[in-house]
Amino acid sequence: MTQTKHIEMRNVRKAFRFFTLEDLSLDLEPGQIMGFVGPNGAGKSTTIRLLTGLLAPDAGEIRVLGHAMPAAQTLAKRDIGFVSDDMRLFGHATLGWHMQFVASIYPGWDEQYARTLVRRFNLRPQQNVSGLSSGEHAKAVLLLALARRPRLLILDEPTSGLDPVARHELLGEFMDVLRDEDRSILFSSHNTVDVERISDRITFIDRGRLVDSSDKEDFLERWRRIHLQLPAGVALPELPHVVSRVQDGLFVTLTTNRFSPDLISFLGAGVREVQRMSLEEIFVANVMHHRETRGL
Amino acid sequence: MFDSELSIHCIHSMYSGINISQTDARPMYLQIMEQIRARIVAGDWAAGKELPSIRALAAALSVSVITIKRAYLDLENEGVIVTRHGKGSFVAEVNGLAAELQEEKIDEHLAAAAGLGQQLGLTPEELADRLRRAIRNVDRK
Amino acid sequence: MNTLARKLIAKDFYLNRWLIIGSTVAGLVSLLIAAEGKVRFNIGMLSWLTTLVAFGVVLVMLSIGNERKERTLQFILSLPLSHGDYVRIKVVGLLLCFLGPWAILSAGAVTLIAVMPNLADGLLPFAVLLCGFFLANYSVVLCGALHTATEGLITILIIVTNMNVTLFIFMVGALPSLNDHLHDPAPAWNSTFWTVLGAELATLVITLSLPYFVAARRRDFN
Repeated sequence: MTQTKHIEMRNVRKAFRFFTLEDLSLDLEPGQIMGFVGPNGAGKSTTIRLLTGLLAPDAGEIRVLGHAMPAAQTLAKRDIGFVSDDMRLFGHATLGWHMQFVASIYPGWDEQYARTLVRRFNLRPQQNVSGLSSGEHAKAVLLLALARRPRLLILDEPTSGLDPVARHELLGEFMDVLRDEDRSILFSSHNTVDVERISDRITFIDRGRLVDSSDKEDFLERWRRIHLQLPAGVALPELPHVVSRVQDGLFVTLTTNRFSPDLISFLGAGVREVQRMSLEEIFVANVMHHRETRGL
Repeated sequence: MFDSELSIHCIHSMYSGINISQTDARPMYLQIMEQIRARIVAGDWAAGKELPSIRALAAALSVSVITIKRAYLDLENEGVIVTRHGKGSFVAEVNGLAAELQEEKIDEHLAAAAGLGQQLGLTPEELADRLRRAIRNVDRK
Repeated sequence: MNTLARKLIAKDFYLNRWLIIGSTVAGLVSLLIAAEGKVRFNIGMLSWLTTLVAFGVVLVMLSIGNERKERTLQFILSLPLSHGDYVRIKVVGLLLCFLGPWAILSAGAVTLIAVMPNLADGLLPFAVLLCGFFLANYSVVLCGALHTATEGLITILIIVTNMNVTLFIFMVGALPSLNDHLHDPAPAWNSTFWTVLGAELATLVITLSLPYFVAARRRDFN
């Protein structure tokens, strides 16, 4: 059971009138958190809807927890906790009603944990959902998903609209999920700081296409900004794996996605500084490079 | 049922000193390695003591499992910790490990000073003078 | 699946409880007013009619239209069920929600006509057809709402089927084989009656089974 990948997408295609998701492949192993990052309109929500059975692919294969999607979605969804930021609970019912509703459907419901979360998220079960602020509503939906202790959590922008304290609490809960190496999380987010902190794997997507998917530490090791000062009259040769090159007189800034000490030795004395890049910087550079190479 | 609230409190009291900052220029795995090394050097984490499991530490610090894994791996390569397959990771039982780490640290600092001195154009004598002055200042305190 | 189906149907009952109770009460009150005869009969029957139609419309709009708009559909679809399951549960659940008040108010109207001395029993066949019409009309709206994706289309459907009420009353009511016997002391269960009843039943069957074949097959729920 631990051997089955939690998510397997192979060459998935989904076409809409003004947008197409093309040739998307994705893997998530149990015990991992994957951060899913992309500009607005890149196809993150579409991908997540394909994973949760809301959409059917035009081509390609999708398997979630070993089940083919969307065909076997009834079975798969028993073990998937899906939360999206535009999902709403029933306004005319209380949070408590929702809790007992979900508890009666899923055998995995942990009542004690649910009550802990109610306290931690500062919610009131007797309050009508329509009376909740957007942040409280987001926390309520997440509570309902977390308290079931599902094997796989698929979250579309789970921390958007949350205050820093709530975000911190939530990240703590996510990492708590990962104590169990049979559970995993896929979450999409614009908050690259959070993604950088807790993700094991990161997938970048842009304009319906996969840009890059790799281990987080791999990304952080491979990407560098190199600041050079060239001697007068010297031109810099074409270098492999240089994703961008900005020149201002004698000062050159290179961005590379395959950093190695050899590159630095090759560049020699002109190197003034080698900087690591934050995930946000890597993301932007990666997307820009991807758009250039694809002529988008 | 797993009483998450109680155990998180326990873990925090064990490793509450370890703090990972994302605004720090150094990568997270290095910060973790440093803080673990510091505790070993100081003697807080005695030789043979079991380290928290990778997943437990990851959850306690809200840092990805892969980062903790990397830190542990590198610490093992340095000989600071020992991982026994299936049993966990332990502080290495090497005599004088603490002293060794301290000496490594001194060498690091001196190398940095030497590099800076060269950039500033100091001669070895001028650099040595500055070092002596620094030692006198420390003695005075 | 069965437990889930029961819970979701119970949910629809729970969320619509005030509408169900309120409409039943309003309908019964209308019948009481109608019982007082003459002008009050017209007023009472008109409000009874309006109650039944409005109840059906609001029920569908709240449960399907709103569910889609308010994004609670995403929450429901995150539960362990398929699209087909959702459609089937919706058909059964919303039909049951409507059936209770409809049965009570129809029985009430029929009883009123049969019992009240100043109301000719000849009115009975037409009344029965009218009650049947409301059920058939409701299932058309329900079926339509399950197949349309946009709020605009549902609204158009509701407006059209509401116009049908007036059309029904005037057209069917004007059919000579029915109209001639309206004021008879005894009800005339003639062939016209059975034909119209048959048409209503057919509509019911078609509109309630269509979702099982069409809407349930839908693969994208955006």
